Amino acid sequence: MRMVNLRAPYSVRRVALVLAVILVLGFLLLPGQLQSVFQQIGSPLGWIISWPLQVVAGVHDRIAGIWGRYVALQGVEEENQQLKRELDLLKEQNGQLREASVATERLSALLEFKKQVLPTSVAAQVIGRDTGNWYKTIILNKGASDGLQSDQGVITPAGVVGRVVKTTASTAVVLLVTDPNNAIAGLIQRTRDEGIVEGTTQGQARLKYIPLLSNARPGDHVVTSGLVGGFPRGIPIGTIIRIDKEEEALFQSAELSPEVDPNRVEEVLVIQSPSIPTEGGRLGVPKPKP
Amino acid sequence: MKALIYFTVIVGLVPIQSVLLPHISVWGVKPDLGFVAVCLVGLIAGELDGLLVGIALGWAMSLFSAQDLISGVVLKGTVGFVAGLAGRQVVYLSPIVLVAGLLVVSCLAGLITPFALKLSLQQDWWWAVWTVVLPQACLDAVSGGLIYWLMWSRLNIEQLMSESRM
Repeated sequence: MRMVNLRAPYSVRRVALVLAVILVLGFLLLPGQLQSVFQQIGSPLGWIISWPLQVVAGVHDRIAGIWGRYVALQGVEEENQQLKRELDLLKEQNGQLREASVATERLSALLEFKKQVLPTSVAAQVIGRDTGNWYKTIILNKGASDGLQSDQGVITPAGVVGRVVKTTASTAVVLLVTDPNNAIAGLIQRTRDEGIVEGTTQGQARLKYIPLLSNARPGDHVVTSGLVGGFPRGIPIGTIIRIDKEEEALFQSAELSPEVDPNRVEEVLVIQSPSIPTEGGRLGVPKPKP
Repeated sequence: MKALIYFTVIVGLVPIQSVLLPHISVWGVKPDLGFVAVCLVGLIAGELDGLLVGIALGWAMSLFSAQDLISGVVLKGTVGFVAGLAGRQVVYLSPIVLVAGLLVVSCLAGLITPFALKLSLQQDWWWAVWTVVLPQACLDAVSGGLIYWLMWSRLNIEQLMSESRM
């Protein structure tokens, strides 16, 4: 077997090589903002690649399905899936009820509590994982043409999965809640203390910047605060498993066990309009003094 | 024909890397087949091909990763270029030498990557070395060695190299 060569003249190759090296050096000097332009230019390439990607993902899912249902565990797998679905549904209902009761108690006496409008969302399927080893991401089969954009929140009925960081025409990359580079505004449901949830290198999550006087304890549930980011208030993030208090530190932090196991996520919802109330909107516009 | 082969490699590698390889990852680390492909193209076809395929593959893979575009393009392009320069210096390349070379180059590229990506403070240099760089370099070397051994046992690599570099 022989590889056919275009056999360009040596001088042409040399000129092309110099131009290619200049191109690479040019990339190094590009400001970060211009990356989005190249992301847009690369969108058609992403669209082309998304076809074999979805074909491979489809074949993979079919083989995994056959293996799971007929070879590995006949019947048990299906029952297990059903129970997990029911558990996820109950967790979601539980989280929503708890959040609703706490919020009603606290806010109804102080403010005219505006009922949060349910956000519109798009269902998407997980078709792949990050192509590298540095980030924990999943790839969805919906992209910019379906209305997905960067910074939109991604959830399952059980809780937060992550947020969209990149899109092509037909795919989207979601940075998982367990990635150390992710940050989501969180709230301890019982104590109402707010903080920032970050992923850890151990595949868990951590709630940072909890006030020192907070009496948060293991077992407390952490939900999205709805203040910043693409999530409405009250979506479960995780459960506190350990509180870390360091001497002379200004804040304490808590290790969380995420509600969603990102390695087993198959279908997700992407929140398109979280209808996040701003601080001004929540407190009401100040009235001029008479 | 050559362009078609490169296009197929680029379009085919991304699904393999993102769908199939996570299942055979070791401690959550998978080999970077894009890196291996760029090295082999550079070694066999020369620095220009290595550089261009590296740029294209870096771009394509960054579209399906949280990694930023510039670091992906520049790192893979540079690796292809360096592989091409290295391939010009050797007359006979055995699989063992290739495995050692891939191990070293993957380690070097992996050590540069955390600085290029501006990762979180938790992901410091030592964490990167022990949890990503070294395991990935080993996997890259093994997978690259296997691919090259398959090519070596079925194709006339020396002839292929001399023809491609003309």
